[in-house]
Amino acid sequence: MRPITLDPRTKLAMIFGVSFIVMVNAVTPLEWAIRIAITMIPILLMISEGKYAAAFRFSLLYGIALLLLKCFLSSESTGFLSAMLLGYCGIIAQFMPAMITAWYVIRTTKIGEFMSAMQKMHVPDGIAVSLAVVMRFFPTLKEEYSAISDAMRMRGIAFGGGKVSKMIEYRMIPLLFSCVSIGEELSAAAVTRGLGAPMKRTSPYELRLKAADWIIFGIFALFVGLFVAVKYLR
Amino acid sequence: MNDNKLKAKDFITVGIFTAIIFAVEFLCGMLGLIHPYIVASYVIMIPLVGAIPMMLFYTKIEKFGMLTLMSILIAIIMFVAGMGWLGAPLIIISGVVADLIAKKGGYKSFKSTVISYGVFCLWICANYFPVIVTAKSYRQSLLDGGYSAEYCDNLFRAINSKTIAFLLILCFVFGMIGAFLGKAVVKKHFEKAGIV
Repeated sequence: MRPITLDPRTKLAMIFGVSFIVMVNAVTPLEWAIRIAITMIPILLMISEGKYAAAFRFSLLYGIALLLLKCFLSSESTGFLSAMLLGYCGIIAQFMPAMITAWYVIRTTKIGEFMSAMQKMHVPDGIAVSLAVVMRFFPTLKEEYSAISDAMRMRGIAFGGGKVSKMIEYRMIPLLFSCVSIGEELSAAAVTRGLGAPMKRTSPYELRLKAADWIIFGIFALFVGLFVAVKYLR
Repeated sequence: MNDNKLKAKDFITVGIFTAIIFAVEFLCGMLGLIHPYIVASYVIMIPLVGAIPMMLFYTKIEKFGMLTLMSILIAIIMFVAGMGWLGAPLIIISGVVADLIAKKGGYKSFKSTVISYGVFCLWICANYFPVIVTAKSYRQSLLDGGYSAEYCDNLFRAINSKTIAFLLILCFVFGMIGAFLGKAVVKKHFEKAGIV
């Protein structure tokens, strides 16, 4: 299957659409249907990009959470365990769509593409650059963190002697150290590539809205419109 | 004047520290799943834990706008993460005010840094805004979202329009305490290593 490559602007629109729909609570089955349908879009896009494992994992998690929520639990269930379970399922059902979309966008957008899209939308340089760094940094943060955990486990100090303050300190300080040095490298690399030069930057990525972009835009406009109509214009 | 403009390096610094702060916030948020009273204790946890990266961040600030930019980024991320736009004004206002206070101290004086961080911490309360402003419908959405009635009742007992003032003050106070703590940690680890 040929991967469907989308314009970064379309992806941003997707994020906003999904987080809007997820934020408003869904009550009726139709609203739930819209929510689930809109979650399916990034999953399908992931499959088209060949990320089968992630797509499978996300849909499995989301499916289980929804199933548990609908079939076994209600607002009357009390007790610690069911409250915890309910909390997890609620969180997953609530935030998973936004997380899936964000994951898809972060994984499939090149930073160059993102910057060029931001420039086309006339977003101020400061916000564009910092957002790009945030986007790029989450995976790095996770990698560094797992490396630190590994090192600590090897030395047998994973729980910091059972003290909460030590646990935080042992993890946070090395993380900050590596983040600071990564930041320095990053800005050196960025300056070499002409970031912060007074000229207008050019980009090797030529962004054009293609048929696929318009289709996605259309689907999302339809869903959001439908959702608002069902929700507020009854 | 030109010297006071933010450069690419500053933007990158802001981006990195925003990512770290958000990771801290996210991990603390996960704890909130266990019991609603933990949700209320965000105002203590996040200022204290977040103080360490923030104090390191403060040592890197030299120009006006970095804190403001950070608050704008946090507002954007909170929106994308599904927290809504109700809190965005509070986040950005606290960022700007914190920036102004720190500017007054020339970004170097520790006293203004402490107050500035206290003000900056007020953004945490923005997470509670959906709870307070739309209490009724938010409760319904939590119930529909699958939280138990018990969780909701506890949540609303801890967070309502009466306690929010108290929570704001707590945020501010623990922000300042956190600033001292963070300063000590930064001194212990980073100044010795010659990073700042």
